[in-house]
Amino acid sequence: MVARGRRKRAVQDTEGRLPSPLGYSAVPIKFSEKQQASHYLYVREHRVREGAQSTWPQKRTLFVLNVPPYCSEESLSRLLSPCGLVQSVELQEKPDLVESPKEPKSKFFHPKPVPGFRVAYVVFQRPSGVAAALILKGPLLVSTESHPVRSGIHKWISDYADAVADPEALRVEVDAFMEAYDKKVAEEETKAKGEEGVPDEEGWVKVTRRGRRPVLPRTEAASLRVLERERQKRARKELLNFYAWQHRETKMEHLAQLRKKFEEDKQRIELLRAQRKFRPY
Amino acid sequence: MEPALEGAVQEGRKMSKRKRSVPGSPAESLLQPVKLSREELYKEPTNEELNRLRETEILFHSSLLRLQVEELLKEIRLSEKKKDRIGVFLREVNQCIKKVPSIPETELIDQAWLPAGVRVPLHQVPYTVKGSFCFLPPAQVTVVGSYLLGTCIRPNINVDMALTMPMEILQDKDLLNQRYFRKRALYLAHLAHHLARDPLFGSVHFSYTNGCHLKPLLLLRPRGKDEHLVTVRLYPCPPPNFFRPCRLLPTKNNVRSTWYQGQSHLGDGKPEPPTPHYNTWVLQDTALESHMQLLSTVLSSAQGLKDGVTLLKVWLRQRELDKGLGGFNGFLISMLVAFLVSTRKIHTTMSGYQVLRSVLQFLVTTDLTVNGISLCLSSDPSLPALADFHQAFPVVFLDSSGLLNLCADVTASTYHQVQHEARLSMVLLDSKADDGFQLLLMTPKPMVRSFDHILHLHPLSRLQAACHRLKLCPELQDSGGDYVSAVLGPLTTLLKQGLGSRLQLLAHSRPSVPEWNISQDPPKHKDCGTLTLGLLLQPEGLTSVLELGPEADQPEAADFRQFWGPRSELRRFQDGAIREAVVWEAASLYQKRLIPHQVVTHLLALHADIPDTCVHYVGGFLDALIQGPKETSSTGEEALTEAVRCYDDLSRLLWGLEGLPLTVSAVQGAHPVLRYTEVFPPTPARPAYSFHEHLRERASLLPRPDKPCPAYVEPMTVVCHLEGSGQWPQDAEAVRRVRAAFQLRLAELLTQQHGLQCRATATHTDVLKDGFVFRIRVAYQREPQILREVHSPEGMISLRDTPASLCLERDTKQLPLLTSVLHGLQQQHPAFSGVARLAKRWVRAQLLGEGVNDESLDLVTAALFLHPEPFTPPSSPQVGFLRFLSLLSTFDWKNNPLIINLNSELKAEEQVEIRSGFLAARTRLPVMVLITPQDHKGSVWTQDGPSAQILQRLVILAAEALPILEKQLMDPRGPGDIRTVFRPPLDIYDVLIRLSPRHIPRHRQAVDCPAASFCRGLLREPQPSSLMPVLGYDPPQLYLAQLREAFGDLALFFYDQHGGEVIGVLWKPTSFQPQPFKASSTKGRMVVSQGEELVMVPNVEAILEDFAVLGEGLVQAVEARSERWTV
Repeated sequence: MVARGRRKRAVQDTEGRLPSPLGYSAVPIKFSEKQQASHYLYVREHRVREGAQSTWPQKRTLFVLNVPPYCSEESLSRLLSPCGLVQSVELQEKPDLVESPKEPKSKFFHPKPVPGFRVAYVVFQRPSGVAAALILKGPLLVSTESHPVRSGIHKWISDYADAVADPEALRVEVDAFMEAYDKKVAEEETKAKGEEGVPDEEGWVKVTRRGRRPVLPRTEAASLRVLERERQKRARKELLNFYAWQHRETKMEHLAQLRKKFEEDKQRIELLRAQRKFRPY
Repeated sequence: MEPALEGAVQEGRKMSKRKRSVPGSPAESLLQPVKLSREELYKEPTNEELNRLRETEILFHSSLLRLQVEELLKEIRLSEKKKDRIGVFLREVNQCIKKVPSIPETELIDQAWLPAGVRVPLHQVPYTVKGSFCFLPPAQVTVVGSYLLGTCIRPNINVDMALTMPMEILQDKDLLNQRYFRKRALYLAHLAHHLARDPLFGSVHFSYTNGCHLKPLLLLRPRGKDEHLVTVRLYPCPPPNFFRPCRLLPTKNNVRSTWYQGQSHLGDGKPEPPTPHYNTWVLQDTALESHMQLLSTVLSSAQGLKDGVTLLKVWLRQRELDKGLGGFNGFLISMLVAFLVSTRKIHTTMSGYQVLRSVLQFLVTTDLTVNGISLCLSSDPSLPALADFHQAFPVVFLDSSGLLNLCADVTASTYHQVQHEARLSMVLLDSKADDGFQLLLMTPKPMVRSFDHILHLHPLSRLQAACHRLKLCPELQDSGGDYVSAVLGPLTTLLKQGLGSRLQLLAHSRPSVPEWNISQDPPKHKDCGTLTLGLLLQPEGLTSVLELGPEADQPEAADFRQFWGPRSELRRFQDGAIREAVVWEAASLYQKRLIPHQVVTHLLALHADIPDTCVHYVGGFLDALIQGPKETSSTGEEALTEAVRCYDDLSRLLWGLEGLPLTVSAVQGAHPVLRYTEVFPPTPARPAYSFHEHLRERASLLPRPDKPCPAYVEPMTVVCHLEGSGQWPQDAEAVRRVRAAFQLRLAELLTQQHGLQCRATATHTDVLKDGFVFRIRVAYQREPQILREVHSPEGMISLRDTPASLCLERDTKQLPLLTSVLHGLQQQHPAFSGVARLAKRWVRAQLLGEGVNDESLDLVTAALFLHPEPFTPPSSPQVGFLRFLSLLSTFDWKNNPLIINLNSELKAEEQVEIRSGFLAARTRLPVMVLITPQDHKGSVWTQDGPSAQILQRLVILAAEALPILEKQLMDPRGPGDIRTVFRPPLDIYDVLIRLSPRHIPRHRQAVDCPAASFCRGLLREPQPSSLMPVLGYDPPQLYLAQLREAFGDLALFFYDQHGGEVIGVLWKPTSFQPQPFKASSTKGRMVVSQGEELVMVPNVEAILEDFAVLGEGLVQAVEARSERWTV
């Protein structure tokens, strides 16, 4: 099928239009000059259905599918800059309408994942950038003489060097986080203290584990434990094999167990026989 | 009325549903949980049903066992239809024999009358013998043996026919000097000549009676399609009461030295040596009928006894005990059953299973080499005493005449092997294991898989010299020149004495019974294959390099010196004693395991004149695969111990660390090195600075792009638990920050207080100690709990497993526990490390190492040691590895969980519960289920793999590798290239990515170690100041991670992390189906128009180029080998 596709593509290349799904246009992209075949970016203007929320700016955002792993934010920004000034580029695992939180993630606690094929949201400064990108001819080159992109051994070595953490920076970050956290916890506590013993508008008083008479936390495990204790208490009181009918039932139960076991065994044997497992040699 | 009817209709529907599902189920061969309706379960029992249930309870162990035994018997018993066909054939044979013409009397040595097409089936040495021979048709032809008794088993049905020779053929002194045997052979030769011309027979061959080469017999097989149905064996025997029994006592001589040795008697008054074996062989011929009568009166009375004998025969056959001269054959076991019936140990109402059990129990408790038994009831004083027999034979079991020792040819070793097997089987039967039947009767135990070490004596002709050296002339005279069987007994005794405490059991293969064409001479003794000895080692005895002898001034010292020869020397010991002693050179565990090799070659050369070129010792061939790149004297156990010792030091330092806000509550190892299962143990890292880039401010080294990849140093993970405290935050993110702070503090303190080079990150601290690098992970016990907490809208806190919590729990709780348990296992079984590493090496060499994780392989290996039935725990890597392959390939992973009862913590009831739970939850469980006491569901270690395809592939590979390897090891001329089964087949892959050895840090660990590789920047000598070496930097692994992330849903990638030079790529067929366009699945695909539609297909050409781009510098070539993707 691919072979057939290849032939088709050759035909269409001469016509100057690449096959692309409805609404998208295909832009070939290669790592560098040396490569023969290219991947295809499928781009279109970012639009959402009526009523759906999206934080990406309307008209100015370009939605890009199938960004190859060696293509970073910077490369994509550079490649699309001929179409117009690029405001921001965001690469994501899968399409997501909400912009990711702006504050940068800690590089110590959220190491960069190994890149695969991703999607990108490119925001241009003007809507004309999007239009220009849609008719881009390509092929785009990720790594050029002037802007080489590292891959293979060179990339791994620089990744390794980056991963050797700076303990001072880590300490500073941890301290800052914990300070903020402690403050938050302290605030909550004072708030809880303020509410302690004070009835709300309907007259209910909230009981917490920090109060004068602490209570068990409401967990599922705790409630299960209580139920289990109740059951045991009941079971202790029950008489077994006391009445004749109980006796009869126990016997019947035993027989039923044997029957069930027998049925299981028969099935097992059936299976073994089917696998010819009874030929000793 | 109506509801009942409705119920019945529903019932019927259910029944039909089940019926439909039953034929379907074997096809998919998956057990379904049994569903029985209430009515069926609780209906009134019938009498018949109750009887059967009661019978099962009394006569069998469980209903499953009963069904299994019944199935087996059905499978191996002869069907009535075939019996009829055999009956017809037997009548025809009978008529043919009667028609054979007689010949006139000639001298025994004048064999000119013998036609050209047939040779005498006997070695006539010395040739000259008195007496004359004539042929007359047999006086009587009777069927004897298991066929009549109904205890013969398929395949290879043999029918034994006794031909009574007429009185006229025999003469008075035929007992002497093999004359009877010569006549018997000539009788057969003449018969063979005439029968071979009959069109009735497909083949006419000679063979030996139970391997005794003085007693040939004739094999007849029908012509046509029945050729493999039956073999008729003709035994000539003397007329009843022809030989006087008093001449055949074990103390009597019937082969004269003057005749046998060809020299006139020296007349020095030395009495002739007795010939007990010779006498027995004659007696056996005379007693055929009476034995038959005895057995038929005993066995015909009860079906249970017949079943029992049949089961015992299968049991013996699986253990290879029944074949050859001195084998424990079906006849012997039938006689044993008869004996037990006569002593009332077995009752005729017993079931086959109970008979099996009673016989095994008897074998365990009775040592026939010391206390012989007898079927003879008469107290005639003229009969010889048991003691006489004990003097002449190693094993004594007399028949009802009191003259014939049924176990005459059985060696002590064979009997001890039988006892050993019986003991193992009894333990198995008593353990109430669910699969006892399978292990007892269905699992073959070939020698190479049962014994830790084996050795081949080849060529056999060497044993002739050994016979002379061991002064075995009388035995040779007795056995008629069969030096192989004559030398067996003394040889095994010699080796047993020499190996002493190192040995648990010594077994020997029995010379095979050849079968040859009637126009050929009988095969020579030296052509009877090879003699193979199996050694079951005692792990406790293996650690010593010393044989301690008696004190120098005691009389036993001379014996000791004589036994050990020049190896024995006087030594002074620390307690002041001066003793004779033998010291073997062995430094490592690998060499100590092979001390038996030294002992065997030394003793054989010294006492039996067998040079070491004839001793082919198979015990350590596979060890080469787990030896380090430049190591030849050790298999790495010592290096692992060194690393573990260093870890112990580190944990002491951690315990004693001052200044941590919380104290350390536990330090646990979590790395394969710390449970002795890392294939190649770490070596202390001494990096050369000039080879690396420096990162001065962090005191670390970095790899340089212009140099080859530096040596691979994998940090060993250690989990360090801190005490609980109310001060820990209750929020997952905050806990991570606090842990990071602890990591930093730990690094600081270790550097300050102990001067260790440390490097802290948010999740771990790397510590360099004595060249080993440890990765300390601080853990907080409640963290998985915190990750699991889910707040419901009502404010209830419930616990739900999340991927993060499961992962954390596995890494910080279950993995350390497993590591410590397996560490303990290694202390119990020193071979564990070797087996586990060999197994892992093999799986990785087959490029499947990443599909199956380390821990699950370690657990499968642990199962070999904890549940070795029907074997004993392996004591050498070789046998352990063979059993690993066999377990992997024969275990029914679909329908059974593999229970690994670590520390025997699981009780029998729990195991039953686990099994039934397993069936009910089968579809939700991983394909390979490993149950440990900590993990009753069995999904912790195999949740993420192997996938069904990988497991299937592994099973197939193991099933193919096992016979190849066993054949290699059983080849007496040496195993050839032992690495054959470790080389992966590469032709199944669609694309091969060739890597440059320059950037493969573990290049030298490859199965075929490269002759030359690159310098990895290591120094020989340690340096005073040390920087942190490059850690965990393995370009092929980084490359693979990228490939899997980018193309994981299009292809599978296979690689051997131990120096593999090639990555195998397999396209996933499903992802090559053209798909409609979807924004979420465009990864690496392109849109093409197919007909009217636009569909997506993988952009293969670009992907192939991506392979090269992503691995720039590492990838040498990308070979697309198949065009499968274009179809």
